[in-house]
Amino acid sequence: MMAHCSTSSSLNPSNLFSHPTFRTKTLSIPRLCSLSSIRIPQSHCATNRSSLRRLPVVAGAVAVDSQASYTDEKEGKKLLLEVKDLTAVITESQQKILNGVNLTVYEGEVHAIMGKNGSGKSTFSKVLVGHPDYEVTGGTAIFKGQDLLEMDPEERSLSGIFMSFQSPVAIPGVSNADFLNMAYNARQRKLGLPELGPIEFFSHVYSKLDQVNMKMDFLNRNVNEGFSGGERKRNEILQLAVLGADLAILDEIDSGLDVDALQDVARAVNGLLTPNNSVLMITHYQRLLDFIKPAYIHIMENGRIVKTGDISLASFLEKEGYKGITAA
Amino acid sequence: APLPLQKLRDSSSETLLSLSWPTRKDEPYRFTDTSYIKSSEIQPITNPPQESDFSSVSEDTHLPNITIIDGYLVETLSGLSGLPEGVYVGSLSKLSSEGILKRLSEFVSNVEGDLFWSLNGVGAPDLIVVYVPEGCRVNAPLNLRYCSVKGSDVGSNTLPVSNPRVLMLVEKGGEVGIVEEFVGGDGNKCYWTNSVLEVIIGEGATFSHSYVQTQSLGAAHIKWTSIRQESASTYKLVEFSSGGKLSRHNLHVQQVGPDTVTELSTLHLSINDQTQDLHSSLILDHPRGYTNQLHKCIVGHPRGQAVFDGNVRVNRYAQQTDAGQLTRSLLLVPQATVNVKPNLQIIADDVKCSHGAAISDLEEDQLFYFQARGIDLETARKALIYSFGAEVIDRIPFAYVREKAKSHIAELLVPTVKSIA
Ligand SMILES: Nc1ncnc2c1ncn2[C@@H]1O[C@H](COP(=O)(O)OP(=O)(O)OP(=O)(O)O)[C@@H](O)[C@H]1O
Ligand SMILES: [Mg+2]
Repeated sequence: MMAHCSTSSSLNPSNLFSHPTFRTKTLSIPRLCSLSSIRIPQSHCATNRSSLRRLPVVAGAVAVDSQASYTDEKEGKKLLLEVKDLTAVITESQQKILNGVNLTVYEGEVHAIMGKNGSGKSTFSKVLVGHPDYEVTGGTAIFKGQDLLEMDPEERSLSGIFMSFQSPVAIPGVSNADFLNMAYNARQRKLGLPELGPIEFFSHVYSKLDQVNMKMDFLNRNVNEGFSGGERKRNEILQLAVLGADLAILDEIDSGLDVDALQDVARAVNGLLTPNNSVLMITHYQRLLDFIKPAYIHIMENGRIVKTGDISLASFLEKEGYKGITAA
Repeated sequence: APLPLQKLRDSSSETLLSLSWPTRKDEPYRFTDTSYIKSSEIQPITNPPQESDFSSVSEDTHLPNITIIDGYLVETLSGLSGLPEGVYVGSLSKLSSEGILKRLSEFVSNVEGDLFWSLNGVGAPDLIVVYVPEGCRVNAPLNLRYCSVKGSDVGSNTLPVSNPRVLMLVEKGGEVGIVEEFVGGDGNKCYWTNSVLEVIIGEGATFSHSYVQTQSLGAAHIKWTSIRQESASTYKLVEFSSGGKLSRHNLHVQQVGPDTVTELSTLHLSINDQTQDLHSSLILDHPRGYTNQLHKCIVGHPRGQAVFDGNVRVNRYAQQTDAGQLTRSLLLVPQATVNVKPNLQIIADDVKCSHGAAISDLEEDQLFYFQARGIDLETARKALIYSFGAEVIDRIPFAYVREKAKSHIAELLVPTVKSIA
């Protein structure tokens, strides 16, 4: 009897990069490098239905106008994020996903976005942090007075936006400790503060582990590799705890968590809340909102925010489902 | 010449008569173009190096070590203190023990090689011997430094060739670690290192082998490693190769008894206009062997190439063998080429086997994850490439060799990552 398992692949440039199997592996370089160049000019004809604030009239005036907005205050709170008429498509297929999102977040506020599967919640959060899968086709996003859409993803992060991924990727070969250390040092550099070597960093991060109830050995494991769903979520919150953020966007931080883990995570998030930083959480369930209480709840549908209300909206939703909302 | 060397020369010249220069039509050289050597004027190095040549060779602080310059063992640059009683490391001509000489004669050139193997057998100025007696454990790794000093300038179309040859015998129950390091010539110096290492690992003996090749980018580096594993012996190889314009490693492992352990790990880097090639063949003829092969390569140049042909053959009597083989390639530029042919042939029926091959670019989602945490693209790419290689490098059992390889990778990656990020 003879079993013969053999694979042979001879690859040269043309067949590797045109072969359908490798389509998803095409080089990312061109796309990532030209992030700023693919951004089409913002549309100036946006009709501003939901916000009373004045829209910039010419693109060149954006920075100036928005700088003014940042000092704009509501009950003594500064404006943190202002998204207007944001539209976006999937880069590869040009399919429209976001159809004009409007959202305003002030310092110290907790917001929640709810909405049916596929309504565009994750897409919205990924667009805010500059994910290359999406291309912004119109609208504006101003964060702390700066045009977010003009910034590279790493600049957005360094300027204080943190998004915890709905499905964080694993990075084999890179330890959690090294990854966090790199991210931490990038932040320190940006702030003009001293970077930490591996040993100093270890003691810095050690204290944060308790906050999310994670064991030490998580630091030595590779980023998310072999992590359970719940462990990945905790790991996202650990990163948030280590790096800090003015605006934390938490995409379904509660899904896949058991009751104890949910409490750990909620406690950690609450512990990070100060009068100055804000949280935008995406969730399907009331139970998270019982732990982290949002002042505003937005309902997203078909790539737009169609309704905004207070916490009572969530309980209404729990009882009536989305039908009730759309009809209302 | 002493008997074993004479025997080697005779049998090599004899086989040479029937061998011709390999072409792309010959299966073992289908993807590897050796015309760089063939079209050059080859100049055999026939004189031992002079004192004046030594200045370019740095002192090695890791003891014990021997330095081999252009194929010649240089005693003044070697330090062998601390070796256990009965261990012999040195030139065959200086070996006084009749017993060892007799043992060596039994094994010399028993294996069939190819043209390069035979050329080495004819051209080797000496036979360098490593002998570990029965039950002897050598604690510190033995460093074999191969330095190429004679070289020509790019475009001169001449290649000085050296033929270092090492024969190693680890007797029953012996244990030894060796670090083979091939260096030489800053920048683009042109030469040809045609090297052979032949090893017999006795019953229950262990040989841990690290092989680091960082020769000049004008070098042709052809290397044979031939291993004979007796029952219950262990062979572990970790290779890191990033040098040479044309680099080819022929690795041949033959199992001659049951219960052997064989672990082969390689990392090849073609970051420049160069070819890195591993042709390995592992033949299992006896029961209960364990073998695991991991081959990784990174190609980061439009004219860079990596070739891997890995044959693991589990023959009829090799029942209850546990064999695994995995190859992964990382292509950093669109024009880069890899030719990989992992090949696990199983004739026995009671066998556990796994294999796989993957070729990819860096994952976009992974890169974005770094960026989303404030880490710039260049750093992210570097970290991912580095971690790809680290899986192999981390298997090198000696910390100083690991560190050396890692800093070498880091150095190589700086310009690459910059230009492609
Ligand atoms: N990269 C992409 N490629 C193809 N389709 C995409 C991509 N990203 C988003 N979509 C599609 O866009 C729509 C919105 O997806 P998104 O992930 O934003 O939904 P969501 O509101 O977060 O849903 P859920 O509640 O299930 O997480 C879906 O139909 C989805 O399939
Ligand atoms: Mg989602």
